[in-house]
Amino acid sequence: MSDGDCGKCEQLLQGYLDRELSEREVVEAEEHLDGCDYCRRRYRFEESLRVYVRTTAAERMPPGLMAKLAQLRTNDPGAAPL
Amino acid sequence: MGEPDTAEPNGARRVASEARDRVRFEEEALALADQVYRVARRFVSTREEAEDLVQDTYARAFRSWQSYTPGTNLRAWLLRILTNLNVDRGRRLQRRPDETPLEENDYYLANKVAEAGGEQVLDQDRVVERLSQDSIVNALSEVPHDFRDVVVLVDIGDFSYADAAQILDIPMGTVMSRLHRGRRLLKARLADEAVP
Repeated sequence: MSDGDCGKCEQLLQGYLDRELSEREVVEAEEHLDGCDYCRRRYRFEESLRVYVRTTAAERMPPGLMAKLAQLRTNDPGAAPL
Repeated sequence: MGEPDTAEPNGARRVASEARDRVRFEEEALALADQVYRVARRFVSTREEAEDLVQDTYARAFRSWQSYTPGTNLRAWLLRILTNLNVDRGRRLQRRPDETPLEENDYYLANKVAEAGGEQVLDQDRVVERLSQDSIVNALSEVPHDFRDVVVLVDIGDFSYADAAQILDIPMGTVMSRLHRGRRLLKARLADEAVP
């Protein structure tokens, strides 16, 4: 396994995690990950970092906002509820 | 939908059908409010700003619901309105943000963690949890907004590159380069925190 392959894997990894690679690139990334502990550890790390950032940075809507948004609906007394 | 458009419906029926479409649109838009808020909250600094931005977005969406094409991505449509409003609020649009090369690579944070704790520590599921919630939120808020907007849309909003390009009205290639840089900046800041 050459360093050049790890460099290429690093380049592909973000797109791989984003599911935005072409089929050919996916095969290339997976073949390298299958045989390289160094990159596979970093792949797992990046993957759990993504999940962690998503869950910690996602803040739920404050209570009360939904009611305010619902009040913005067009008030048409003639409109039949669905 | 799908009915042959042979007979012109009479006025009353057309009004009733339009009212039903509008109600359905409003219901579908409201069902996405929590997801819209999550993105809005990381676009701006305070909860109050995020609430205002989301309210303005829904007010505009409900007014111009007829310009939404049913069957297309409603969440992306709402975020497009939100992004435009956020820009209108005086946030400067940088057409040419800082593009000077960064020294940090994509593995920067992982390498720092491995240097400090050994390669094997990367195999531990809980290694990222040494980063506090505050540190992630703070690190994200320090990323310049042109880069942060893309990171927020893709990593928190779960939008595709193509959706992010449409929402921000920038080319796909720009989405990819800003995402790349934004994530590297985020990881460089997290590294300072995780491995002092």
